[in-house]
Amino acid sequence: MKYSLLLIFLLCVTAFGGEKKVLVKKHESPKQGCSMVQKQAEVLTIKEPLHISVVGEGVAPVNTTSPAQAYALAKRAAIADAYRLIAEKVKGVNVEGQDFIKNMMVQRSTVRTSVQAIVKGANIVETTFKDGLCEVEMDITLSYSDFAQ
Amino acid sequence: MRSRDGYYSFILRLCTIILSFSILLDADEYLVSYRYVVKNAILYNESLDISKSMTKCEGIPSQTLILASLNKHNFQKIIDKHKDKFIEYIQKLGINVESRERTTNNQINSTTIVTFKTTCFKVDFNDNFVRISHLKQP
Repeated sequence: MKYSLLLIFLLCVTAFGGEKKVLVKKHESPKQGCSMVQKQAEVLTIKEPLHISVVGEGVAPVNTTSPAQAYALAKRAAIADAYRLIAEKVKGVNVEGQDFIKNMMVQRSTVRTSVQAIVKGANIVETTFKDGLCEVEMDITLSYSDFAQ
Repeated sequence: MRSRDGYYSFILRLCTIILSFSILLDADEYLVSYRYVVKNAILYNESLDISKSMTKCEGIPSQTLILASLNKHNFQKIIDKHKDKFIEYIQKLGINVESRERTTNNQINSTTIVTFKTTCFKVDFNDNFVRISHLKQP
C-alpha cells in the first residue's frame, strides 16, 4: 500500500514537471519572435530620420557629337543608377535564379533581379565625370512620417 | 438721383474690369511627362512631353520653381532653355524607378526605366520670369 502511494506521488510529480516544461517552451517562442520584429522596426524611429547615401554610375555612349553631350547623357544614366540603388536599399530586391543542367553539367545559369519603387525628394550631392564615366552621389532622408501615412 | 443709364454704364465698366483682370491673372496649366531608359549604364529614349491642358486641373499649387523667361510666353521654349533645372525639379517631386537585371553565365544585362507620370503644372507667365507650380492632388 505504501509503495503504491509513493508510486502515485512520483508519477504526479513527474507529470506536473513535464507540463511546466512544455508551458515554458510555448511562452518563450513567441517572445523571441517579437524581439526579432522589434529589432527590424527600430531601423526607422520617430525621432531620428534615416539618411541614405548612394553613388550611381553612368557611361556616355560611343557616338556622341560633343563632350558636353557625352557628359549630359552619362549624368542621366548615373542618376537612374543612383535612383535604382536607393530603391534597392529601401525596398529590397526581388531575386529569381534558374540553372539549366544537362548530362550532369550546368548549361545555363541565370539570375534575375528586379526592383520597382517611387522615389521622392532625393538630392544630388556631387557629380564627377572622368574618362567617360560619370559618378553621381545622391542622398535621401527618410522620416518616420513618410511611411506612417 | 442717378438715371438708369448711369448705373448701366457703371456696371458695364465694372464687368469689363473684372473680366480683363481675370484674363490677365488666369494662369495656364500644362501637362508634363518624362521618361527615359538606361540599358547597361547607357541612356536611351529620353522623352519630355509638354502639352497644354485641355481641361481644368484640380489640385493645390505646391513646390514652386521660378525660371527666367525673358519676355517669352512659350512654355516649351523656356523649358528647353532650362531643361536640367526643370528635370531636377520634377525628379524631386517623385519618379517611378523600375529596374531589371539579368545575369546569364556571368554576363550582366541591366535595364532601368525612369518615369515621371503625367502631371499637371500651373504656369504663371510674368515679364522676366515664369513661375511653375506643381498641382498636388487634394
